[in-house]
Amino acid sequence: MIRKELVAASAEPLVLSLLSKGESYGYAIIQEINARSDGKLQWTDGMLYPVLHRMEHRGLIKSRWAESETGRKRKYYSLKKDGKTAMAKHHEQWSLVHGVLAGLRKEQYV
Amino acid sequence: MFDLEQSIAEWRRQMLAAGIKTPVPLEELEIHLREDIAQQMQSGFSAQQAFGIAVKKIGQALELKREFKKISAPMEMQKIIKLAGVICVAVALFCQLLFCSPLAFAFVFAHGLRVSLLTRIFDLAVLVIPVAITVLSWKYNHKLLPVIRNQPLRRAVGIVCYVGCLLWIRFVLFHLPTDATGSFALSQFLLFVFLFGSEWTVMAILGGVGHGLEKAASKKSAAIDLLASQS
Repeated sequence: MIRKELVAASAEPLVLSLLSKGESYGYAIIQEINARSDGKLQWTDGMLYPVLHRMEHRGLIKSRWAESETGRKRKYYSLKKDGKTAMAKHHEQWSLVHGVLAGLRKEQYV
Repeated sequence: MFDLEQSIAEWRRQMLAAGIKTPVPLEELEIHLREDIAQQMQSGFSAQQAFGIAVKKIGQALELKREFKKISAPMEMQKIIKLAGVICVAVALFCQLLFCSPLAFAFVFAHGLRVSLLTRIFDLAVLVIPVAITVLSWKYNHKLLPVIRNQPLRRAVGIVCYVGCLLWIRFVLFHLPTDATGSFALSQFLLFVFLFGSEWTVMAILGGVGHGLEKAASKKSAAIDLLASQS
C-alpha cells in the first residue's frame, strides 16, 4: 500500500494526467487509478470530488453534464489550458524527484 | 428484505442532514454510489453487500461536507476579495504613474536644473521601483505569504490589511513633509517624492494581501486537504 502522504500529493498530477488523455468522470477516474496502481493507490472515493471541484474553481479543469451510453447522467471533466501547464509543471517536478531517487538507488548497487 | 432504492434514499437523507448540498455535489456523489453498487453486484456481491461496500468507500457525510464547504462557500467571497485587491492595485498604479512620473521625469530630463547624475538615477528609481514592486507583489505575493488554512482568520487578516491600506493613505496624505511657505529644499522635495511614491506602493502591497492569502491557500490546499481527509 502506498503511504497516504504520497497518495495525497499525487492526486492532482494523476487527475490532470488522466484528463489529458480525454474527458472523464469521477468513478472512471477512481477505477483507472486503481487499475493502473494494482489497487495500491487507494483514495476515499468521495474525497475525489472536492479535489475535482477545487481544481475546477482554480481553472485547471472544466466540467459538463452529459448522458452516458447507458443513459446514466454523468459529470464529465476535461483539461483546460491552465491545467495543461500545471500538469507539465507536475511532470517536471516528479521527474526530478524520480531522477534523484533512481540515481541514488543505482549508486547503492555499484 | 433489503430494499436498495430505500437504502439509497436513506443515504441521501443522511447526506442532506449533514449539509451536503443538492443537486451538486450530492447528485454527483449519488451517481458515483450507484455506479459502484452496480460494479460490486457484477462482481458477485448481493445488493446489500454492494451497498455497504459502496457507502463505506464513498466516505462519511460529515467529512465530505467539511471538504466541500472549503470550496463552495468561499468562491463568491474570493471574487469580492480579488476585486477589492484589483481596485487597490489599480488605484495605486494609476496614482504612481499619474503623480510620480511627471515629478521624476522632470528631474531626470529637465536640463535647466542642476542635479547630479546620481540624483537623476535616484529619481528614476523613485518612479520605476514602486511600479515594479506593485506589479510583482500582486503577481507573486502568494509565494511569500503563509498558507492560513483557517478561513475566518485568513479573511480577517485580509480585511485588516484593506483597512490598514486606507488608514495608511489617509495618514500619509495628511503628514507629507510640506513647507508652509511653499518652498522646498531639495532634500525635502526628494523626501516628498519618495513618500508620495511609496504611499501607493504600500497601498498596493497591503491591498493585495487578501487576494494573495486566498491564492496561497487555494494553490497549496488541494493535496493537503486530501491528506487531512484520509488521516
